[in-house]
Order: sequence, then structure tokens, then C-alpha cells
Amino acid sequence: MRETYGVVLPAMKLGDLTGKLVVIEGTDGVGRTTQINLLKPWLEHQGHAVVDTGITRSNLAGKGIKRAKKGHTLGRITQTLFYATDFADRLINQIVPALRAGFVVLTDRYIYSLMARASVRGLDPEWLRKIYSFALIPDAVFYLRIGVDDLIPRVVFSRGFDFWESGMDLHPGEDMYESFRKYQSALLGQFDRLAEEDRFTVIDATGDIRSIFEQLQTGIAACLNGEERSKESGVAPQPSATPVSESAAPTPETDAAVREEVAVGKAT
Amino acid sequence: MKRYGDHRFPGKLFIVEGIDGSGKSTQLNLLYQWLQSEGYGVVFSEWNSSPLVRDVTRRGKKKRMLVPSTFSLIHATDFADRVEHNIIPLLKAGAVVLCDRYIYTAFARDVTRGMDPQWVRELYAFAVKPTVSFYFRVPLEVATKRLHSGRNGFKFYEAGMDLDLADDPDESFRVFQGRIVDEYEKMVPEFELTAIDATLPIEEQQSQMRQIVKARLAQAKRLRVAP
Repeated sequence: MRETYGVVLPAMKLGDLTGKLVVIEGTDGVGRTTQINLLKPWLEHQGHAVVDTGITRSNLAGKGIKRAKKGHTLGRITQTLFYATDFADRLINQIVPALRAGFVVLTDRYIYSLMARASVRGLDPEWLRKIYSFALIPDAVFYLRIGVDDLIPRVVFSRGFDFWESGMDLHPGEDMYESFRKYQSALLGQFDRLAEEDRFTVIDATGDIRSIFEQLQTGIAACLNGEERSKESGVAPQPSATPVSESAAPTPETDAAVREEVAVGKAT
Repeated sequence: MKRYGDHRFPGKLFIVEGIDGSGKSTQLNLLYQWLQSEGYGVVFSEWNSSPLVRDVTRRGKKKRMLVPSTFSLIHATDFADRVEHNIIPLLKAGAVVLCDRYIYTAFARDVTRGMDPQWVRELYAFAVKPTVSFYFRVPLEVATKRLHSGRNGFKFYEAGMDLDLADDPDESFRVFQGRIVDEYEKMVPEFELTAIDATLPIEEQQSQMRQIVKARLAQAKRLRVAP
């Protein structure tokens, strides 16, 4: 039976939510979107109906947040609660209906990224936990973990430093490189803490797209087969120790997709 | 993050609560006039939230997109903006700040909509604790009668129409407000709200209010120039 982190929202029948909720977490530029774009067709190929969602994609607050990031300044608490509103709207209007219909919901980030960002901005982690206690506990959380030294070249050679991803609101007047280092290091610290508290499956994201994809396939296949999440936490599973199940073996289609992704990555 | 009750500011914060038609806004206006004439630097905290948040709230209401959780969160976002950009700076500057409705309105409304009472209280933990919170206690029939002579028709969320309490907006409003009153009554001891009998003559209520406020302003600095 599905559970929340503490509070159940009005009119929510947890027993009806029979689908699977799978979360891909990780910091900016780590490759979450690339993986989701591979996972969705792979799951659909296997006959699962898939819905994907992510931060600021709510009908209610998504546009407002995006506009806010373009220049207007919101206070830290205001910003945090704006994101919480966006999350609640997506939970009610996207995630819950899909789970009720038996879909696999793939979410690009979840409450963990939101809590990590707000904690780095000085808000109380205990308070954030309580605010987000209405969130559903996912069936699996895959954390694409990377160190800041490995992250920097990726960001520099792809899209460059972004104002918010560099935490420039926290370090005004500094250069983006210094700010990015500090901000992302602090974020990674928060993610590591959450990975332990919430039993994330940690995936080493310094590897190539293909190997990360295979690890995700293995993990998601286990989750869909109804295997319980490991009770141990915080330790990155070594790729060699990960059993590759039959069902998770890449199909020719996904192979092609991986090659395409890699090629696109090289081209940019 | 400073929590409710932790803030220490030179300014003072007085707020009024009560259902629509309780007369709280009338009383707050009279208090404002008096404080000003006494030479205090007094300001209304206007609900001047960022246009970004305001537009989302307005659109959500207009299109009836809000459910209890998002209704609660978008109002908390709006309130946070008001606290961070308006109330706290004013209190730091030593002003006497007046608010028409405060977090207790949210507690009453959100809990009536089925949100968990403890969760809602935690959500607003960042709010500054008022110097005094006045609650204007009035029987529902008296308040409704005052409203009917003053305005026509209730809005969708105002009448609690999202809760399916009744098909008729007037009836829905009455049931909804009745539940709000129950929530207020629970909060009187919990948050030490100062209850004022809102059936008394306006002058009598105002005189009680001024006495209470005066006692709390003994040490407050009087700004020479009103802001």
C-alpha cells in the first residue's frame, strides 16, 4: 500500500494508486533528462504506459516560476513555497491520476531537489521535511551522483554556466565559476544527506550514458517486478556487484537510442 | 529561518481576525486614525504581493484550478512574499504595523478545507508573531445580515463552493462560515487571540482596542515623521 511522508491530502485514496512512481534525482547537468528520454521509450516498448513530469511543469504555477527566474526577485521562503505549490499541483493533476490508472510515472527530480536547494539557501531542513510530508513515497529513487570536479567540465563544454545553477543569487558579485563550485558542492552535500535518509539507489554518474542507462534499467526492472527497495542506504552499488536481469538487457532499439544520444552529445 | 515567536523587532504588529461582516476592518481603520493622531509611525501592511504570485493566485481562482492543497500553498506563497518584503522590513524600521487578517485566516480556511491542522501551522512557521491579535467574535446571523446589506453575491472560493457543501452559494457560504467560526474558537486559547465582542457598539469596541494597544506601545518609539 502506498504511503506519504506523513500527511495525507484531502480526498486522496492511497489504496487506488496502483502505478509505480520512479524518481530520477541528481544535480544540474548530470544527465537526468538524457536518461529519462531513453527510459521512456524502453518502458513503453515493454508495454508500460509512462507519464513523465518534472519541476515547473505545473499548469498552475509553472509559468509564474519561470517568469520569476527571469529577473524579478522573490524572497527565499516565497520562492520555496512557490515551488511547493508547483509540486502539489503536479502531484494532484499529473502524478496521482497516472498512478490511479496504473501508469509508470517517471519524474525528473522530486521533493529532494526542492529540499536540497532550499536548504542551501538557509531554510530549515526539518521545516522543509514537514512541508513536503504530503508527498507520496516513491517506489524507487535513482540518484545520479557526480562530484563537482567531474560536473564542471560537462557544464562548461555543453551549455555553459547558468545564473541559477551557479547559485549566483547566493554569491552576488562573484564570478560564475567560483559561485558554481560553492553552490554545487553545497547542493551535493545536501543530496548525499538525503540519499542516506531516504535510501536512494546511488548510481555513479561519471560513467558513460550507456552504462548509467543499463544500471537504471536493472533498477527499474527490479522495482516493476515488485522487489522492495534495499533497506541499506547511502552506499553506491558497484557496477560489478549489480546483477543484470534478463528483462533489463538492452534491446536493439534502446541500443540505437543510446548511440544516437552519444552522437548528439559529441556533436554539441 | 526564524520561527513564529523568535523574531525581535523594534516595531509592533497588531492584527485583526474574524469572519466577513464582523466589523474588523472598520475597527482597524479607526485604530489607524488614532495611532496616527497620537504621533506613531503607523502603516497598514497592504497585501502588495509580487505580481508574479498574485497573477498565479488570481488565475487559479478564476479558472477554479485550486484544490485544498494548492489553495493553501499558493496563499502561503503570497503571504511569505508579504512577510519577506513588507512586514519584516517595516518592523525592523520600528513602525507600528497593522494587518487586516493574518495567518489565522489561513488556518481556519485550510483546515475547513480538510488540510491537516498541524501541517498548516507548520507551513506558516516563518510568520512573525503579532504583538496582539484581535478576534472579532460575532454570531453568524449578525455577520451575514451585515454582509447582505453591503454587497451582492459571493465568489466561488469565498463561499466554499469547492467543498460541495450546498448548491446555493448563500447556503454554502453560511455552512462554510459556520465551520470557520468553529476553527477560530479553537484558536482563541491556542494562540491567545484577544476576543472582542463584535456585537457591542462600534465606539465601545474601539475603546477596548485602544486600551489594549496603548499598554503594548508604552516603550515603542514614536516616529517624528509618519512613513
